[in-house]
Amino acid sequence: MAPNSLKHLSNALATPDQLSNSSSSIDNVPSDLETSIRCAGAQLTQAAGVLLHLSQDIIAQAVVIFTRFWLGADGGSLRIYSVKDVSAAALYLTAKLSFQPTSPRSVLNVYTFLLSQDASPLWFVKQGGAPETPPSPETYILSEGGYQSARLVLLRTETSILRTLGFDTHVALPHTIALTYLQTLGVVKPAVARRVIQHLNAALLSPQLLYVTHQPNALAVAAIYLASREEEVKLVDGEWWEVFDVDREELGFLVVGMKSTEGFMRAEVIRWKNKAIPMVVDGVDVEIERRRMMEEGE
Amino acid sequence: MSSRWANDDPETEAIVAEQKRVKEQKKRAKAEKQRLEEAKKAQARDANANGELGPPTKRRRLSNDPDAHSDDAELLKIEKEQKSQSTLLRFPVGEWGPCRHVDNFERLNHIEEGSYGWVSRARDISTGEIVALKKLKLENSPDGFPVTGLREIQTLLEARHQNVVYLREVVMGNKMDDVFLVMDFHEHDLKALLDEMREPFLPSEIKTVLLQVIGGLEFLHSQWIMHRDLKTSNLLMNNRGELKIADFGMARYFGDPPPKLTQLVVTLWYRAPELLLGADKYGTEIDMWSIGCIFGELLTKEPLLQGKNEVDQVSKIFALTGPPNSETWPGFRLLPNAKSLRFPSTSAPSSAGNPPLLPRSRFPYLTNAGLSLMSGLLALNPASRPTAKQCLDHKYFKEDPRPKPREMFPTFPSKAGMEKRRRHHTPEAPKRGQEAPELDFAGVFGGAPGGDTGEVGAGFSLRLG
Repeated sequence: MAPNSLKHLSNALATPDQLSNSSSSIDNVPSDLETSIRCAGAQLTQAAGVLLHLSQDIIAQAVVIFTRFWLGADGGSLRIYSVKDVSAAALYLTAKLSFQPTSPRSVLNVYTFLLSQDASPLWFVKQGGAPETPPSPETYILSEGGYQSARLVLLRTETSILRTLGFDTHVALPHTIALTYLQTLGVVKPAVARRVIQHLNAALLSPQLLYVTHQPNALAVAAIYLASREEEVKLVDGEWWEVFDVDREELGFLVVGMKSTEGFMRAEVIRWKNKAIPMVVDGVDVEIERRRMMEEGE
Repeated sequence: MSSRWANDDPETEAIVAEQKRVKEQKKRAKAEKQRLEEAKKAQARDANANGELGPPTKRRRLSNDPDAHSDDAELLKIEKEQKSQSTLLRFPVGEWGPCRHVDNFERLNHIEEGSYGWVSRARDISTGEIVALKKLKLENSPDGFPVTGLREIQTLLEARHQNVVYLREVVMGNKMDDVFLVMDFHEHDLKALLDEMREPFLPSEIKTVLLQVIGGLEFLHSQWIMHRDLKTSNLLMNNRGELKIADFGMARYFGDPPPKLTQLVVTLWYRAPELLLGADKYGTEIDMWSIGCIFGELLTKEPLLQGKNEVDQVSKIFALTGPPNSETWPGFRLLPNAKSLRFPSTSAPSSAGNPPLLPRSRFPYLTNAGLSLMSGLLALNPASRPTAKQCLDHKYFKEDPRPKPREMFPTFPSKAGMEKRRRHHTPEAPKRGQEAPELDFAGVFGGAPGGDTGEVGAGFSLRLG
């Protein structure tokens, strides 16, 4: 019975093999490029989820499924699957299983807008983010023909995700666990709770892939640790994290990982200041070719 | 009397004692050593498992290593760590990987075709194990992978229980829409078993069966899963008396408060009255109604309420339970399809008690406790039905005859094992995406459309097909 009752609180984690090999790296995608694209894809998923009015738990689950898809030699390769398609399919699939399903048309409309070179508010699609004056609607509206073909890609990618993950779509999230822990610790300050949720959502974008390497209870504890420090709320004395089954080692690692996400993101914005992060297979090919030429030129 | 092997000589006795002592000591030392080695091995294993997995959980231990010189200190340290570790709960770590190909299985024979796919018996080529292979029907899905299939997989993967069929893995064929569920194979389903038997189950056997169904259902409900298609043909049995709930094609997660759900669930004969009256908010009580129908079927071998259509089903239900009134089922008038109900003017308040007891004449061989359980399960008002947990504690299961131990359960020749199974007479579960029918219940109490009053007698029922 014990393992059964814990399923709701735990996740499948990536194996060492899956973390050290990826299908993309086998296809000669440099690992820094892979990381950049994957993080941008996670942000794209988050933004699309917000525009679709999906609740954050659905969005977070979609980001985790999106992240799992790329891991391991059996995972998806950035030279075969466009990151935008996988992001859209992960979101569509997760919403379908939730209490808030959404239609392919809504999903594709939102992605067309977010990937529009003229209208997108995303820094890694359009430099400078959302334009000052609203662009003409033609630049971000999906035509009927475009919809029909995009729909086929969306549904095909959905099946690819399911096959790659062996149909295991279960994702347990740390957010509600963290709130329970906060209550247990007697923390009543709303600012702490808010900060905890912020850390947990930011960790979805972490280049260290925290959500596929650590169980939700550990993520929750690390976010509480950080938030209570930042908000200067004193927690109980003693090693309280052990009450929540997290050892000091893991907590330390996660705290460092969560704190570094912001710095990583800032560095990314600077690194990609003058060009867009490729969101489709062709773009990845062009970027790899460009890097090869640069190297040869030197 | 001393044994003739006993040695009387005190000297030899002393020697023997000495030998014994030395031997004992050696043994103890050896055990100690073994324990140490095992602890070391366990530590190495842990380090291997965790060391590469991102979190360097063993770093602190490594830095301590230099000061651990003697074996004693080592042992002490290990013991201490084991102690401190034992306070932490370790979550079961699952993995994910891509689906295998269906060619890893050799198909042996066809079992049946249900509304959600084809099932065949197959052998896993690598292990030789016999499994059931269920092909999901994926055509006509404008919205991609059908949500019913996804829910079936998701709920089965999470509902690990001894009374729920075990989903081993999902495999795929050459085409994108060839998807198969690989499940443990079971020799029988309860429907086929009841069809084959000359005499119904004994009371003790009925209790064994019911306890297992309700036990599995209690687990599902505790995991926020509603089955929504419980019927005898979806209950599998093996030759060791074990029962498994199967076919999760209609199952889904529910919430609190319940989300708006489709009323088009559950095979007609097992469908609860609130669904028939068009409720779009309902809960686990609909599964309990189905359990009541299954209970009745176990007693007589015949499905309890065999309606020809929705209207006929409602009339059969009311013929058994008596019509509802605002006392036994407050608020039933508000349900969408209840407006057309016309009650006979003679409808006198039924027997006392809430929920009222069902007529004893329908279940002549049932004990009072059994009848009270049945009446609770088949209460028209969903709020009056017991939960699965309450059922398990019901006095019916505590009184004699006690449930028969599983290992004493009779065995039967398997239909699924070798030959094609007969098509069942049970109607199919409703199809997803159908329009909920506008029902006119004006004729429920005789006369007008649908209702076949000739069949609604006490004590017997006609068989369809």
